[in-house]
Amino acid sequence: MIRLVCVFSLLYLAACDRLPESYPPPEQQPAVGDFDAPSEAMMVSMDSADSDQLIIKDIYPGGMPWRWTSQEPTIRVPLLSTENLKFSVDFTLWDETFKVTGPVEISFLVNNKLLDKVRYDTSGSKHFEKPIPPDWLTGNSEAALALSIDRVFVAYRDGSKFGVVLTRLGLKP
Amino acid sequence: MTRLLSVLFGALFTVATAWSLGTLLFRKVAPALYTWEERLLAFVAGSACLSEIMFALSAARQIHRGLLLALGLATIACALFFGTLRSSRKAFEPLTSLWRWVFLVAFGAFTWYAFFNALAPEHSSDGMAYHLGNVLIYEQAHGFPLITTNLYASLSQGIELLYLFAFEFGRHSAAALVHYSFLIALVFLVLSYGRRIGRPAVGVAGAIFTYTCPVVLRDGTTAYVDVALAAVLFAVFYLLQVWDESRDPRLLVPIGILAGFGYAAKYTGFLAVPYAAGFVAWKLWRARKPAIRPVLVIALLATAMIVPWMVKNWIEVANPVSPLANRIFPNPYVHISFEEDWRHFFSTYDLASRWKIPLEVTIRGGRLNGFLGPLFLLAPVALLALRLREGRQLLFAGLLFACTYFANIGARFLIPTVPFVSLALALAVADLPWLLLVLVAASAISCWPDIYHRYATYGAWGLDGVPVKAALRLQSEGEYLSQDVDYKIVRMMDRVVPPGQRIFSSSQGGQSYLPRELLIGYQSAATEVTEDILWTPVVGSYQPTRSLKFDFSPREIRKLRVVQQGREPWVQWSIAELRVIDGASELPRDRAWRLTAHPNPWEVQLAFDNSPVTRWRSWQPASPGMYVEVDFGGLQRVSSVVVESSSEDVNGKIALRGIGTDGQWITVSEHPVQSALPVPGNLRMAASAVLKTRGIRYVLIKPGNPGADDFFRYPAAWGMTLAGQVGEARLYQIR
Repeated sequence: MIRLVCVFSLLYLAACDRLPESYPPPEQQPAVGDFDAPSEAMMVSMDSADSDQLIIKDIYPGGMPWRWTSQEPTIRVPLLSTENLKFSVDFTLWDETFKVTGPVEISFLVNNKLLDKVRYDTSGSKHFEKPIPPDWLTGNSEAALALSIDRVFVAYRDGSKFGVVLTRLGLKP
Repeated sequence: MTRLLSVLFGALFTVATAWSLGTLLFRKVAPALYTWEERLLAFVAGSACLSEIMFALSAARQIHRGLLLALGLATIACALFFGTLRSSRKAFEPLTSLWRWVFLVAFGAFTWYAFFNALAPEHSSDGMAYHLGNVLIYEQAHGFPLITTNLYASLSQGIELLYLFAFEFGRHSAAALVHYSFLIALVFLVLSYGRRIGRPAVGVAGAIFTYTCPVVLRDGTTAYVDVALAAVLFAVFYLLQVWDESRDPRLLVPIGILAGFGYAAKYTGFLAVPYAAGFVAWKLWRARKPAIRPVLVIALLATAMIVPWMVKNWIEVANPVSPLANRIFPNPYVHISFEEDWRHFFSTYDLASRWKIPLEVTIRGGRLNGFLGPLFLLAPVALLALRLREGRQLLFAGLLFACTYFANIGARFLIPTVPFVSLALALAVADLPWLLLVLVAASAISCWPDIYHRYATYGAWGLDGVPVKAALRLQSEGEYLSQDVDYKIVRMMDRVVPPGQRIFSSSQGGQSYLPRELLIGYQSAATEVTEDILWTPVVGSYQPTRSLKFDFSPREIRKLRVVQQGREPWVQWSIAELRVIDGASELPRDRAWRLTAHPNPWEVQLAFDNSPVTRWRSWQPASPGMYVEVDFGGLQRVSSVVVESSSEDVNGKIALRGIGTDGQWITVSEHPVQSALPVPGNLRMAASAVLKTRGIRYVLIKPGNPGADDFFRYPAAWGMTLAGQVGEARLYQIR
């Protein structure tokens, strides 16, 4: 009996194996730059199906390629990188409301930081684009982008506010 | 109807097989028992034997329905052949009319609740997650497959192996009914004990106190294991008391088997072994009789029940008592930090003070997952039973089995002490029969589910109703189970995910209804790393935002070590990338290099894989002497070393050491230059790519999971598409 126990104990010992504690370098992962999404991935078009879940506030619902905004339209976008990014927006100042408000001044904000402030003296289609300092974005996984409009059109009937007609807003490499 | 019959057959066949095995065992070894004692103890001891047989079959990957059917039929036939199913023992004196009716009314009323709950489709959280989740895996693999990504598969599972036997025939409900049969056995054992000591009223009261206890009744009607453990421990106590009267050495055989089965049922049951061995040794020493041989018999038989589980763990996860004691048995499968966090949580349940435990555990039940019932506020009265020998025996055993309670203060962990306290409490007031009667009535009324829902915390773990239609399968299982969101989620995943694909989730639920591999974040070292990778893109403090550069005059170096010099009791050390530089360019990582780390050498490659979403972590609090090492395999010219890490202070408290041409360790630099490291590119997509290399194509995100909103808003940025949705829970497929 004792012999059998000894034999089985030795067999058990033979079955044991130490786990390795040193390793060669592993297969190298592709550079993160290789995962860069298309250049439009951080732009939000108002006609896209995903736009609703990216709107934080002050953008009216709509089914058109554009949407009316209120006073401080704000969206969030995923940060797919933090370097060499530009704030980019396409919008329109509508003739009819412009006649009421007159020239407007629009502040462009990134994570509540003022990137720039521009005065628009004419109505019509506008485009704004400006680089963002990288340290404004580092450590974040998304960014909040906003337009703050100083004068808006107020509807006589219900008091609704109308700022600009927004087409696209987001970040561009 | 067929479904109901298969459930009943699965449960009854398992119980009959276990009972038959037990009677065959008791035929030779237990002469001093009454009829009912023999029946009940034979079932419990036979369950231990059946569980051991199931272990052997599982280890040999021979779990097949036909084989189990043959095994069960052969066992029952054997018992019939030898006539062991018909007891020839003497019967107890009949109960008085009053106490017989008290027992029948209370037992019958609560059985109405309990039986139909046990028979209804199983949907308890842990039962349908891991107790039966592992059973499903074993059933599919015909035994134990190698599982290193689920710590619950490393716990002892003696009861689950009985569930596996029943599961083969009747699936989930059959397993729950097997557990319920342990509850019935426990209640009748408590009753029998009172009759054995000549106090049948105490037996009746103790049995009703135990049976009506809300957490016992709830637990015992699901596929949990706590009530089965309580039955095993009480059986050990019972047999020791019988042995103490008869001193028949043959009784030591079932005592040893059951003591070891306590550990096999649940780790906390290990106390049965020192209890049984100590009891026998103490009694024999006081009688001036030799104790070594009887104690050895108990110890050897208990060891035979325990060692298979330890050996299984030793082979599979390099730790015989996994997932515990990982500091003593360091291994790649369970992180030390996880074990310590786990212990901390279970010892506090985030309660502000331990003084809140008595009320939580007896009346409220919301924070500690169940409650014992208000009667147990009178537990101190049980101390009056100390004046009697039986009272001292009961209280000692109850106290001993409760001594692991503060490691996990959940109410379930008091279940093993409930029968002892119940009997001791009844014994304490046994001289006042009217008071005993009042206590029985008070217990039955206060623990009636419709009553306790009025005073317990809303949602406290208990029985909610009598699901007669679901139990009798007049309502479909799917319809009944669909009340549970976890069930709906796993059904959705079953529809959407092709067989063979792995799913990752941060939280468990319902796996026993999902024939797919579901990896849960916290359940192993590998899945914790996966979770770390998945969260890095959305948790800024995980990202490698800091570069620490050691610059020095170029030199020939054989080995390099980045050494931790700080100590932070709550913060881990981590390195995202370690880069070695000669002149202006980084040295390519040569396959001849050897990398290691202390602690956690098994994940060191994560600091050398060029991915910003993976990192080596100490997975225990940072302390001086920890290191990450590169052995170049020969002399290598080096002029600087860059460590990329997250922003925790402790990651900056590092020094660089090396072995040069003279073969001695020297400090190369203690002052790295820090600079901010911009996070480049799309971390989300990088994380998804790493998950793919780990064989994960699906990720289940539930509300409250870190980054849940981020997945919802930006699935395209993760390289994922929404594959299915139940409520706010979403399943994403990695493209």
